[in-house]
Amino acid sequence: MDSLLDANLERPKDEFLSVRNLHTHFPLDEGTVVAVDGASFDVAAGKTLGIVGESGCGKSVAARSILGILDKPGVIVDGEIRFRHRTADDESGEVVDLTNYDVDGEEMRSIRGGEIAYVFQEPMTSFSPVHTIGNQLMEAILLHRDVSKSEAEEIAIDMLRQVGIPLPEERIRQYSFELSGGLRQRAMIAMALSCNPSLLIADEPTTALDVTTQAQILELISDLQKEFGMAVMLITHDLGVIAEMADDVVVMYLGKVVESAPVDDIFHDPKHPYTKALLQSIPRVQSESREMLASITGSIPHPYDRPSGCAFNPRCPSFIEGTCDVGEPESITIGSDHQVSCFLYQEG
Amino acid sequence: MVEDTKQAPQRLLDVTDLRKYFPIKKGFLRREVGAIRAVDDVSFFINEGETLGLVGESGCGKTTTSRCILRAVDPTDGQIMFRSAVGEFVDVAKLPQSQLRLLRREMQMIFQDPFSSLNPRMTLLDIVGEPLLNNGIGNRSEREERVADALELVGLRPEFMRRYPHAFSGGQRQRIGIARALVLRPRLIVADEPVSALDVSVQAQVLNLMMELQEELDLTYLFVAHDLSVVKHISDRVAVMYVGKMVEVAVSQELFVQPRHPYTAALLSSNPQPDPRSRSERVVLQGEVANPADPPPGCYFNPRCSYATDICRTQAPQLTEISPEHYVSCHRAEEIELPGVVMADSNGIG
Repeated sequence: MDSLLDANLERPKDEFLSVRNLHTHFPLDEGTVVAVDGASFDVAAGKTLGIVGESGCGKSVAARSILGILDKPGVIVDGEIRFRHRTADDESGEVVDLTNYDVDGEEMRSIRGGEIAYVFQEPMTSFSPVHTIGNQLMEAILLHRDVSKSEAEEIAIDMLRQVGIPLPEERIRQYSFELSGGLRQRAMIAMALSCNPSLLIADEPTTALDVTTQAQILELISDLQKEFGMAVMLITHDLGVIAEMADDVVVMYLGKVVESAPVDDIFHDPKHPYTKALLQSIPRVQSESREMLASITGSIPHPYDRPSGCAFNPRCPSFIEGTCDVGEPESITIGSDHQVSCFLYQEG
Repeated sequence: MVEDTKQAPQRLLDVTDLRKYFPIKKGFLRREVGAIRAVDDVSFFINEGETLGLVGESGCGKTTTSRCILRAVDPTDGQIMFRSAVGEFVDVAKLPQSQLRLLRREMQMIFQDPFSSLNPRMTLLDIVGEPLLNNGIGNRSEREERVADALELVGLRPEFMRRYPHAFSGGQRQRIGIARALVLRPRLIVADEPVSALDVSVQAQVLNLMMELQEELDLTYLFVAHDLSVVKHISDRVAVMYVGKMVEVAVSQELFVQPRHPYTAALLSSNPQPDPRSRSERVVLQGEVANPADPPPGCYFNPRCSYATDICRTQAPQLTEISPEHYVSCHRAEEIELPGVVMADSNGIG
């Protein structure tokens, strides 16, 4: 394990979560789906990392790889997921590689739900319909914290109050289907935060919600983040949500990170042709009505049918023949913290 | 108004006091104990050749409204006047089934989900040609020709005709859905969330296609969606619904820049902007959407409205025209100042 860690040269002292060269595959009968193909990114302690990309870009699989909750037959074939793990005696904790743990082992089970919490996209289906909200919250609390049943109930009520659910004493006796979509997502967040995690992974937390409810949930997440000081990894396809929430942004396309930068750079100084095209293709309320949108030609390739060279080359407006369709671009750093994987910026 | 500048636009659809109540049944005898007022006294019109955007949150009745227009559901009450190709107005709401079929050639629908709205066991020829077959139009080779034309219109190669939908991506499938809607050469197209299931890069292609087809074929759209930016982009005029009621209707630009209903302003403020520099102190609307089976007295929006006064809690406001073409249903529309969208290089509204 130590040798693995040493292999990587740059390792900042305040490292919190670093994913390096992650490869996650789904070997199926028809062929292997390469869901994540060498993705690297960092989440800084207490900050929000936004991961944005279209369907099939591997953003959810990357998150699920971190937690070891990949759907079968998904498997991490290469890469490291280094996470600052809380220890009883040491305040600052120690950095461990999560890929070394057995996904069903004791360490992983204590990290998952305890130190790293996960909020799913579908508040409808992520609660069990046959147990009350209170029971499900208490189960999580009892599993990760050393408290009695009545204390757990108190914590559960307190958490529901903190996420802004009115009359929490009554709500804990209710079932998930008795709550509205917004309340259910609040309850989901309460459950995620009940064990005081240091990292919250939210996978499309507001996609199933209406705009006014979405605004409430986003505000709640950033308020709670300030209060608890946790880091947030926010996965979404919605650039508006990213602009609103993220400190740093990672743009993914077909399993690869094509660009990563602070949020202001992504929106005001994008480098990768895909990021640029994505930003141009979204309709904005400020634009004139009935203008034609700049669209990206073609569609996202099927995962069995990946193009050779740079994954974006068949759709790229800046395609260079003989370069982009042959080799894969390396990630290069522009300025202090802006990384882009594109031949336009190679060499110099 | 605009009468002197050019010929007044022709109405294609005029909806008055449309109502659709769904009964709530309880107990062994399935007795009716109440009703969900999905659409409650809604009035609006659509002019020939324009796009009316219909926005609102889930459960506000926008889909039910659009289904009533096509008579996919039978309205409880109200008038839906549609100007048919011969120039006469017919009331779709009261038309007997036998005459509906003829009229439906002129109004077609595009669905939200391109994955479940296409039968996986039918080829494109069968899917796109089905409306022709149902209406007994043409023989086999003529149908094939019209299907080929329709596919070409939406940017698909006619050679794809013998393939099955699974061979196509989400964006291409939505094009197939559009081809199916176009094959009868309708005049009104009701599109219910046509791009919300698509990826951003593909969404732009489909929106552009819809706008091009409108120019080319003189189509009129009723565009139902929840995404304000998309609606702003494609619509000439926009209608906002809340709990089965129409709260505001206006020309698109005016509605976004100068909203007159507090709910419209709240919707605009909750819409996240794709620009981190516009991260602002947003007005986050508190509370939840009212229950359409048991709405609050007075204006349905009053429990969440920061401008509400006594009259709002007792009396339901009526939709009134407060400036030309701008209809609002709010007691205080004349007195309150609401923030709208700040345009990038704002030169005001026309």
